[in-house]
Amino acid sequence: MPVYDGKELRIIGFLCNWCSYAGADTAGVGRFQQPTDLRIIKVPCSGRIDPLFILKAFQGGADGVLVSGCHPRDCHYAEGNYYARRRLELLKRFLPVTGIDPDRFEYTWVSASEAPRWQHVVQTFTDRIHKLGPSPLLAAPLTDAEMAKLQSQVEAGSGCGCHK
Amino acid sequence: MTGLEELKTKILGALPELDVVIGWEQGYDALNATPLFIRKPEDVERLIIGPLCAHNLATYLPGLKDKKVGIVVKGCDSRAVIELLQEKLINKDNITIFGLKCDGVVNLNKIRKKIGDLGQIRKVVFDSGIITITAGETDHQLKFSEVRMDKCDTCKYPNALLFDHFIGTPDDRQNGIEPEHISDAEFEKMSLEDRFAFWKQEMSRCVRCYACRNACPMCVCRDHCVAVTRDPHWISQENDTADNWMFQMIHVMHLTGRCVECGECERACPMDIPLMLLRRQMNKGVRDVFEYEAGIDPQGKPPLLTFKVEEDNIPEREW
Amino acid sequence: MRIGVFVCHCGSNIAGTVDCEKVAAAAKDFPDVVYSDDTMYACSEPGQQGIIEAVKEHKLTGVVVASCSPRMHEPTFRRAVERAGLNKYMFEMANIREHVSWVGKDKELNTNKAIDLVMIAAEKLRRDKPLISKKFDINKRVLIIGGGVAGIQAALDCADGGLEVVLVEKTTSIGGKMAKLDKTFPTVDCSSCVLGPKMVDVAQNPNITLHTYSEIEEVGGYVGNFEIKVKKKATFVDWEKCTGCGLCMEKCPSKKSFDYFNEGIGTTTAINIPFPQAIPKKAKIDADFCRKFTKGKCGVCAKICPTKAIDFEMKDEIITENVGAIITATGYDLFDFKKYAEYGAGKYPDVITSMQYERLMSASGPTTGHIKRPSDGKEPKNIVFIQCVGSRDKSVNRPYCSGFCCMYTAKQAILTKDHIPDSQSYVFYMDIRSPGKSYDEFVRRGIEEYGTEYIRGRVAMVYPVGDKLIVRGADTLAGSQVEVEADLVVLAVGAESAVGAPQLAETLRISYDTYGFYMESHPKLKPVETNTAGVYLAGACQGPKDIPASVGQGSAAAAKVLALFSKDQLESDPQTALVNAARCIGCYKCVETCPFGAIKEIEDRFGNAKAEVIETICQGCGLCSVTCPQSAIQLQHFTDNQILSEVKALCPSMMEKS
Ligand SMILES: Cc1cc2nc3c(=O)[nH]c(=O)nc-3n(C[C@H](O)[C@H](O)[C@H](O)COP(=O)(O)OP(=O)(O)OC[C@H]3O[C@@H](n4cnc5c(N)ncnc54)[C@H](O)[C@@H]3O)c2cc1C
Ligand code: SF4
Ligand code: SF4
Ligand code: SF4
Ligand code: SF4
Repeated sequence: MPVYDGKELRIIGFLCNWCSYAGADTAGVGRFQQPTDLRIIKVPCSGRIDPLFILKAFQGGADGVLVSGCHPRDCHYAEGNYYARRRLELLKRFLPVTGIDPDRFEYTWVSASEAPRWQHVVQTFTDRIHKLGPSPLLAAPLTDAEMAKLQSQVEAGSGCGCHK
Repeated sequence: MTGLEELKTKILGALPELDVVIGWEQGYDALNATPLFIRKPEDVERLIIGPLCAHNLATYLPGLKDKKVGIVVKGCDSRAVIELLQEKLINKDNITIFGLKCDGVVNLNKIRKKIGDLGQIRKVVFDSGIITITAGETDHQLKFSEVRMDKCDTCKYPNALLFDHFIGTPDDRQNGIEPEHISDAEFEKMSLEDRFAFWKQEMSRCVRCYACRNACPMCVCRDHCVAVTRDPHWISQENDTADNWMFQMIHVMHLTGRCVECGECERACPMDIPLMLLRRQMNKGVRDVFEYEAGIDPQGKPPLLTFKVEEDNIPEREW
Repeated sequence: MRIGVFVCHCGSNIAGTVDCEKVAAAAKDFPDVVYSDDTMYACSEPGQQGIIEAVKEHKLTGVVVASCSPRMHEPTFRRAVERAGLNKYMFEMANIREHVSWVGKDKELNTNKAIDLVMIAAEKLRRDKPLISKKFDINKRVLIIGGGVAGIQAALDCADGGLEVVLVEKTTSIGGKMAKLDKTFPTVDCSSCVLGPKMVDVAQNPNITLHTYSEIEEVGGYVGNFEIKVKKKATFVDWEKCTGCGLCMEKCPSKKSFDYFNEGIGTTTAINIPFPQAIPKKAKIDADFCRKFTKGKCGVCAKICPTKAIDFEMKDEIITENVGAIITATGYDLFDFKKYAEYGAGKYPDVITSMQYERLMSASGPTTGHIKRPSDGKEPKNIVFIQCVGSRDKSVNRPYCSGFCCMYTAKQAILTKDHIPDSQSYVFYMDIRSPGKSYDEFVRRGIEEYGTEYIRGRVAMVYPVGDKLIVRGADTLAGSQVEVEADLVVLAVGAESAVGAPQLAETLRISYDTYGFYMESHPKLKPVETNTAGVYLAGACQGPKDIPASVGQGSAAAAKVLALFSKDQLESDPQTALVNAARCIGCYKCVETCPFGAIKEIEDRFGNAKAEVIETICQGCGLCSVTCPQSAIQLQHFTDNQILSEVKALCPSMMEKS
């Protein structure tokens, strides 16, 4: 579906079934109004989220990716979110290396009862993404300006230094 | 690397118990080394060691899992052996390690950039930091420090970390090593937009030959690499920038906390794409968060296979 | 594949802010969708019937319902799909109510979002495979951990229901905290008179095996077939021989041993039976105080014991019990009152805990029911009760209300008047919480008939003057400082999780909250279940609770076990991980991360190492799928390809390529 020009950006959420998905449900039941951009993909546990799913979303042009699971200690599967925390933290630190703004990705913990918190998370994250605007696209060709800049870097022997 | 004769004697001594010993020999000319598989005592004569021996021979180990194998390793290569052992991908009982002390290996791409392609090289001599390359009747002299591999600039582990036989005298070159490679510092100065454009440009050059993956000692999936399957279907086989980028992401993510920074991926890349930049940056994250380096301790636990209830270096989520 | 899409209006709940017809129309263009319609109430009988008929008429092989949360009605629709003759896993739901219509106002954007959610559901469904549950036999025995009133009730109910029960208690006798109480609110009936007969029933019921002075070492297996290792700690008395005559207690020279049952009010002997009504009534040697152990010589008890039951060489013993379900009833422990230095707790002997006061009042206690204060044995006349000691206090990390302290304090004040008619009780409180049946009336009776004086406010400090204690605090209602001269100060200590509760939870693989109380599966709808199949909760281990609530939960947990065991076989959830042996390289990274030990290391017929999932143990978290670099182990119904297809469906630039 075409993303609504100007009104919406593409934000993908990965939520664990037991806490955060249920928390989003609770927010719905409580009619906690939220921006509409977010599309939620349900997974059993935050431990099921391969960081590559997130990179895949960015490859496809997602403007923001949000992950939410049970609070540490409250994992339905006892340990899933502990593993998730390690994987996601490394991903967050790695993103800037690719040139993707790490602010486009966030991970957080929301329990089944934290409806106001969920609303806050969605609102804050959506606002943040709107401030950042649309993601740069891998699929789009490099602009002339970008090409020129890269060229000059290579010629100057700088850039990444590997091409000295 | 010193002690070729000592190494040969040791290998000859061990050979009767082993199916094969892997070392290096001269390749198609004096500048190119290539792996040597020693099965008979007379093969040992062809063995060489020295700054040309860049190949990380550990890459062959998982494929020879059930054989009795001897292997010659530099410091960096030994880390791959350790990591493979740690992940139980090879069995120590089947492996005999001949450990070397290393003074750095050359990056042929850098040489080529300096003196161009000279055709057949007749002779290569290393002497007090100078490498002399003879092609035809002409000698070319280069500073070794300018043509060695990037990883050697910051190498903390010149001696094999794990061995059954150590050849030569270990070097204690632990101090005064820059923790970060100069190219990382340059890269870190770039803006996010420039980095994105940079990788887009680099990935557009990738020909998806998978040489980087095949050279990586830790890429043990080989035929089952998820980059080439339909189930799961991570990427298409089409050679476009976005999918090439995704392929590198898969490699980096699957190597998180496992990459031993041997540099084989980058060395193997025919397009000379700076793959190590991605690896080193990820490894930096692993060091910062988990105070962990892959391939140091055979008993260590890769950080993504374990956790702490209270993580030392991961801040609590604020919202 | 032939997919049918049903978009529910949910009356105006969804249709009010989502254009359901438009969603249904858009779905017609999705790959493999051959039928799409909107419906008023999909979950209603006619709604379900409509789905069933459409499946038959259009030969659908999969169904998407766009309606409320799958956490609400997924089971309902799965059954409908099954009735239509399809495998119930050939079904996906799009949550367009809780996640769309109820949280967004803009109808156009909502409709657009609903269409996206239907699309990802359809994309996932296209990769669903029929799944079939496995059946396995149940071992119809139940393990109950903790022999407080909750555990006792659960044990008796299960045994009455014909189940074999194994009851494991940490101390030497069952009874828990209730056995220590004098009388209970709101009826003021004698605690041991109501509990005692139940304890005897436990001892006499042939269906109940009792292991006291024992703890859980290890729990293996899964619902229907748990294997439990129980550690029977050494008592140094052969219980086969001990008759509970108590001769040893008369002769034991070590008379200053800590009296755990009496909360340290008074002392006991190194070899002791904790209280006269103990079940089982057997002696145990406390090695910390026994002279044979501390000094190397004595052995008086061994000489005096008529049945020669003493055995100083006894060692801990591990036994194995096989059961099909587990009820955890490990209760609570009391807040360490010494953390309130300003109250003089632990410093002045006449500042005591509420539980110590119960023992002072109890006829079976060290003072045989005469209230005497610890310092000089005098009968106190002015007694001050301080509430919320270790409850509702963030500064000691106890922000929660312990629930029963208001009530037992009211009770203790009433009982004090009964014991000492010319006494006066004062209660410093924050709020009076008395929401149970006849509870508030009980508190009022204390105030009106027994003259208990309630002062609303926090106590700032307690300090001695002569042989009195001065309690200084604020009266927030009067807005003034108050000072009360007391002979005895009783601190209403709050409840905290039982010692060792988190460790036991790890062994049982159940969750616990920040304070160590066990987490129920759902705070409202599944209060005695945990998220580990076959493990249930009863009593105060789940959170502070009074006796009626603990007993009620004991019975509820027993009913759950009886219902579980009413079948001969259980069905496992087929949404488990599955190893593709061709891709598996036997690195066992998955084995390392699986939190449930659900993955076995096996060899294929060529001797290659492979992983294999034990379906009945796998809980379907999917941790392993992310760990495996080959993607050889896939969580069924949430495979990499399914999640990838959802991601791709949401990323327009990737749609056409997949
Ligand atoms: C001073 C005071 C007065 C009270 N008065 C009243 C009252 O008048 N009326 C009322 O309704 N409530 C009263 N209560 C509350 C009452 O004590 C509880 O509601 C009740 O005891 C809860 O029962 P339980 O079985 O859940 O827990 P417990 O009574 O705590 O029993 C738990 C049992 O499990 C055992 N156990 C713990 N850990 C393990 C382990 N790891 N392995 C094996 N066994 C273990 C313990 O030894 C214990 O026997 C009072 C509480 C206090 C503190
Ligand atoms: S990713 Fe590159 S540097 Fe890292 S282990 Fe593999 S080949 Fe070596
Ligand atoms: S070796 Fe280089 S060109 Fe080949 S796949 Fe790897 S990055 Fe691409
Ligand atoms: S992680 Fe994957 S490859 Fe390794 S044993 Fe498990 S299923 Fe097999
Ligand atoms: S899905 Fe979870 S429980 Fe099942 S085998 Fe994998 S890690 Fe273990």
